[in-house]
Amino acid sequence: MIGRTPWWSVTIVAVVGCIWIIPVVGIVLTSIRPPSEVALGWWRLDEFTITFDAWARVWGQFPLAQAFWFTALLAGLATAGTMLLTPAAAYAFHFLKFPFRRLMLILIINAFVLPQQVVIIPLFQLWRDLKMIDNIGAVLIPYVGLSFAWSIFLVKNFLEDFPKELIEAARIDGCSAISTLRHVVLPNATTPIFAVGILQFLWTWNALLLPMLYLRSNVPLPVLLTKMSGTYESNWDLQSVAAIVTTIVPLLMFLVFQRYFAAGAQTRSGAKE
Amino acid sequence: MAGVGLVNVRKSYGAVEVIRDFNLDIEDGSFTVFVGPSGCGKSTLLRMIAGLEDITGGEIRIDGRRVNDADPIERGVAMVFQNYALYPHMTVEQNIGFSLRMAKLSKREIAQRVASAAASLQIEPLLKRRPAQLSGGQRQRVAIGRAIVRDPEVFLFDEPLSNLDAELRVSMRVEIAKLHQRLGATMIYVTHDQTEAMTLADKIVVLRAGKVEQAGSPQDLYDNPANQFVAGFIGSPRMNFIPAQLRSGNAAFAGGIHTVPLDGADQDILVGVRPEHFRVGGDAADVDLKVDVVENLGGTRYLYGALPDGTQLVVEARDEHGIKAGDRVPLGFAQRRPLFFNTSGQRLADLS
Repeated sequence: MIGRTPWWSVTIVAVVGCIWIIPVVGIVLTSIRPPSEVALGWWRLDEFTITFDAWARVWGQFPLAQAFWFTALLAGLATAGTMLLTPAAAYAFHFLKFPFRRLMLILIINAFVLPQQVVIIPLFQLWRDLKMIDNIGAVLIPYVGLSFAWSIFLVKNFLEDFPKELIEAARIDGCSAISTLRHVVLPNATTPIFAVGILQFLWTWNALLLPMLYLRSNVPLPVLLTKMSGTYESNWDLQSVAAIVTTIVPLLMFLVFQRYFAAGAQTRSGAKE
Repeated sequence: MAGVGLVNVRKSYGAVEVIRDFNLDIEDGSFTVFVGPSGCGKSTLLRMIAGLEDITGGEIRIDGRRVNDADPIERGVAMVFQNYALYPHMTVEQNIGFSLRMAKLSKREIAQRVASAAASLQIEPLLKRRPAQLSGGQRQRVAIGRAIVRDPEVFLFDEPLSNLDAELRVSMRVEIAKLHQRLGATMIYVTHDQTEAMTLADKIVVLRAGKVEQAGSPQDLYDNPANQFVAGFIGSPRMNFIPAQLRSGNAAFAGGIHTVPLDGADQDILVGVRPEHFRVGGDAADVDLKVDVVENLGGTRYLYGALPDGTQLVVEARDEHGIKAGDRVPLGFAQRRPLFFNTSGQRLADLS
């Protein structure tokens, strides 16, 4: 039958799905069983007791709650920055004419090929000289700046399909470049802007390297996770709780906004196709 | 209200010149139609008047003011686009009122003007809908509403009817004509459809490759085309061009059977006869037409066929019923004096 998924593809997807879910099950089980029971592996069922001891203790032993809010703050600000600046930049690159437009675009997009690790040391020296180490800006600025390469590329690609007549109609209706962006482009470009926002949020929520190097007093969750391991003796249960707390937000985020990952350009001016 | 003047206007994209030394005066309150085949520069010209396209040289004047560098809004023009260009995220009401909102008019005045524009186009029931929920004709009305609400001095239409189906196209054409009578504003209209041009225009400007081939009233262009291009472009079906020879004051065509006295040096020429200017049947028949196809439109019929020497012709037969494909029909040329062109397409001076 046409349109029916063949049985073997369902089977393959199911097997792959199971393989992917095993570590998650492991983490959850580790977090709710006493460490002595899972010392030889969380899959051992010789004894099986459920305890929420780790869930209760972790908040006191580590600054998990504080790290959670701090991560949310960092990721939120970085995401907001990207979501505000990227559409404006993509719009300018695509629809406006100004000197060195092409050169600037090439420079920004070329940051694509630049691995983060390359900029870390010069950036560290810069922050140190500016006395910005342990300042939230020391990670926010590179978060937003480094996101431009892919985010501008993504939004500009979307704008390739944006009907040019809408921009022209706005000009005839008396819009300046800025008001065209505000009243005509942004309301019709929510899909790529949200897609960029979600990707940026996931990336900054999980970021480890930059905050580990540039922040001292207040650290986000991934950094806290690295600090937990090995500091004390076996605390797998506590680490599991922290890992779940760290993962849950991006996971929920993905579930809620997943349609934006699949959506394409749907702006049409109303002409018959 | 305002007239539009174009003086030596040029436009080039890099080395390619699409409009060269274009001169035209568009009178205040007139309906001017730019017509021509695709790529002739008619849309570019309109967009230059609108201010959407920079001009490379020359001067554009609206109401006597030089507007070369003015923004569209300062020029006092409104434009209706081919694919309507309605803002998809706004309701009809917001679409129509958008330019007024940008001009920072009071809410009350916006509502008032949107309401009166909607009333004049009979789209009040649609005001709360979005463009995606409208049919093609309704969208076109909204697009026109967006233009009239600003009370502009000049209306620009860029092939506004080409996305509509045939029936709607005719009725919207009539509405645009009415709109022009009612508003009395200057309107400039771009189309590739000569029927739209003939029916709407006070003045038709026929363009080819960025140059004016001829400008004048529709009747003038129909009766007195300056060259073969205009003669072929205006009128539907197309004018027939029959190869002929001019020899010692007589043009002989259709295998030498028919001759017309014509002044000029001996040369090969083309004789232009519109399909409606043949006489079909009767005794004064000059040649036989072998009919290949008959298009019966009810009130009239078009015969597609060939003369004995192989020249293809289209002939309108108004009253002769019962002509079938394969028939031989006697044709007379005498109904009206034909037009004569030299082989490079220029009209030849004639006795009349």
